[in-house]
Amino acid sequence: MSSPSSPAAPTFVIGKARTRMLGLTLDECIQAFFGGNALVAVIVLALITFFLFREGAQFFNQNRDNIRIYRLAGLEYVDYMRQQQEDHTALTRYLFDVRLRTLKHLTEVEHCSLAEANARLASFDDFAGRYGDAIEPVRGLVSDLTEVATAIKTKFTIGEDTKIQREQLLSVGKTAEAAAVVIQPVDFKSELAPILGTLPAYKEAAVVVRKNLEASLATIPALPVHSLQPRMDRFKQLTRDYLATFPTTLHAMEIWDYTRPVPLWKSFTGFMLGRQWLTASFWQDWYGIVPLFAGSLLISMIALFIAVPLGVGAAIYVNQIASSTEQGLIKPTIEFISAIPSVVLGFFGIAVLGQALRAVSQIQSLNWIPGFPFSERLNALTAGCLLALIAVPTIFTLAEDAINNVPRAFKEASFALGATRMQTILRIIVPASLSGIVSAILLGLGRVIGETMVVLLCAGNRIQIPDFSVGLSVVTQPVHTMTGIIAQEMGEVPQGSIHYRALFMVGVALFFLALLINFFAQKIVRKYRISIG
Amino acid sequence: MVTVTPSPSLTSTAAPMETPAAPTKFSVTVPPASAAKSGVATTLINIENFDFYYGAKQALFDINLKLDDKRVTAFIGPSGCGKSTLLRCLNRMNDLIDGTSIKRGSISIRDVDIYGRDVDAIELRKRVGMVFQKSNPFPKSIYENITYGLRIQGVKTKSRLDEVVEKSLRGAALWDEVKDRLHESGLGLSGGQQQRLCIARTIAVEPEVILMDEPCSALDPIATSKVEELIHELKKQFTIIIVTHSMQQAARCSDKTAFFYMGKLIEYDDTRNIFMNPANPQTEAYVSGRFG
Repeated sequence: MSSPSSPAAPTFVIGKARTRMLGLTLDECIQAFFGGNALVAVIVLALITFFLFREGAQFFNQNRDNIRIYRLAGLEYVDYMRQQQEDHTALTRYLFDVRLRTLKHLTEVEHCSLAEANARLASFDDFAGRYGDAIEPVRGLVSDLTEVATAIKTKFTIGEDTKIQREQLLSVGKTAEAAAVVIQPVDFKSELAPILGTLPAYKEAAVVVRKNLEASLATIPALPVHSLQPRMDRFKQLTRDYLATFPTTLHAMEIWDYTRPVPLWKSFTGFMLGRQWLTASFWQDWYGIVPLFAGSLLISMIALFIAVPLGVGAAIYVNQIASSTEQGLIKPTIEFISAIPSVVLGFFGIAVLGQALRAVSQIQSLNWIPGFPFSERLNALTAGCLLALIAVPTIFTLAEDAINNVPRAFKEASFALGATRMQTILRIIVPASLSGIVSAILLGLGRVIGETMVVLLCAGNRIQIPDFSVGLSVVTQPVHTMTGIIAQEMGEVPQGSIHYRALFMVGVALFFLALLINFFAQKIVRKYRISIG
Repeated sequence: MVTVTPSPSLTSTAAPMETPAAPTKFSVTVPPASAAKSGVATTLINIENFDFYYGAKQALFDINLKLDDKRVTAFIGPSGCGKSTLLRCLNRMNDLIDGTSIKRGSISIRDVDIYGRDVDAIELRKRVGMVFQKSNPFPKSIYENITYGLRIQGVKTKSRLDEVVEKSLRGAALWDEVKDRLHESGLGLSGGQQQRLCIARTIAVEPEVILMDEPCSALDPIATSKVEELIHELKKQFTIIIVTHSMQQAARCSDKTAFFYMGKLIEYDDTRNIFMNPANPQTEAYVSGRFG
């Protein structure tokens, strides 16, 4: 105590002050880094959504203009008549189909020679000829008016182009040149006069067509093949139905008015429910998503139909039945499939699978399978098979996880009650993991809907609503998809054009579809967590 | 209640009960009720020179044990001593684990070798039920849980299933608690109720033997005492083998106790003798709490 150099009373030191950067300790810096990364992901998603919508949303205004000019230039008016003409063409095609069947029956069942068969069909051909010619008056009108309407539309388009040209000149300050650009306004009323003036002519033509058709119906000859007679009766009925539409068409034409405004919702429904995707047409462009959506849906269903049993079955086998050697072999193999670039798969689809499927379809003894034989190498089936290959790893991995999450205790309890392995799998394991399996399937579906390269290469790319009326053989038709059309056309369209915006809208639709699928998958997974307890 | 280690003569009297015509099924002949009442137990399960391996590691060494019919036998011993392994050998649950093997010895129930070539493990497990350490009702309704064992055997009649559900739940002393919510999930019950549901599920298939693998280790004392009361009731009808870490539980519920240590059977005797007057010093050390 007496010594002055005695040590000071020990202080209780917890630690020295931490070094700080920008007022943050190291821990806080690391936290900020992680937080920032998470934030970037959110921001990027928000930006993608925003720009997708911004580009896409303008489509509706442009499409409205598109529909407005369709009306202003009288294209809509002409299309009433054209529709009538096309309905008639469809009937003629039906007639031709009946002739083909009859001929086939005569030569193959009754063993007539070709000349003999044709001779027996002479009265039928005579009738078919008269029936086909019956539409001639309307057809003449349509082809005349088509030119007039197209001319009006061209005039309008040129006017719009010159307006843009002048604005561009003005915006760079070339006032003199801008003033020199002459804009010729289109006077729709006077331009449309020649079209609207044909109404009396149309009325006459329609009466003639009706008379012609009724006359030919009255003289309809009996078919040489009796068993095909029901088809002819059906044809008569179809013709009567067709004639019944005449007054409706006429009425629509009488009240038609080019000044009637096009509401904005027409532009929306025209996109969502439009049954035609027709671009760069000389007549009128249509942007309807239905054929693309139907194509995507058809291919996805085919893919899931194949991939679900494969993926779920393999998951059950690997998790519950396989020995560890088999597990070590199967799991990496299936997971490796997802490593194959989809363009390589598409290439394989074109070169091998499409070829092989067509060859198989043409085997005589397999003709009973619906849709066989088919001649299109690239169709929904080929693309669906390949997409199944892409979906299998997703479904397999997630379903295997779900099955693996079923507590071992359930399995043991089931075995202890004297259940066989199959009973345990089917009655305990699968029900307990069902929601996990379903969400695996949904995520597989998301994968399939979003896949682009394979469908672009293998789906056949015919923009048409698949004909579901033919039953199962619909799967052998070529289709186009939402993803495929974006990939195919985006590179060729001028930026900012209506076509460009329409493709964006297809993207938005895909975005919503994926969102919906993921939403349901997550909802199911949440339920699944609770059910295991 | 005092029984001596079954003599060879007792074993041989059990032999004629076996039906040689149906070796895959156990004889359903129940030993005379008088035998159980009079306190003379017959041997049901006979384990002889039994060696068991997990891969290359030997888990059981030369086990010789005769387990009595309609009695409660407790297996005690420190963790890892092989008592659960032996229990799971009795209904061949170890078959489900890869790499297990029996190098020597046999287990027979009513003189049928359960590891015999023509014994179906599925049939065996219908006769030898099991209740696990952690209650594991299926994520199904209470009704579905109980009827599962019958449904997989193909029983579909509604009236028969209803009857079994009531009988089993009454047997497991659970009926009054759940009779109004039979179609609610079994996972909604409390831990003790879940364990009794698992017992009800096991007795629904009417086995002869019920194996219990530490059935009360996850339960609170009240639930434990309910299960123990249940064991007392069940032994009138079933042969029960219970693995437990609780010495008190073994003393309370069992008629005979087997003490295992390091994969070997150290001592097997009447429960009273094991706890009051053990022959082996290791047993004494364990039951008095000096190790383990």
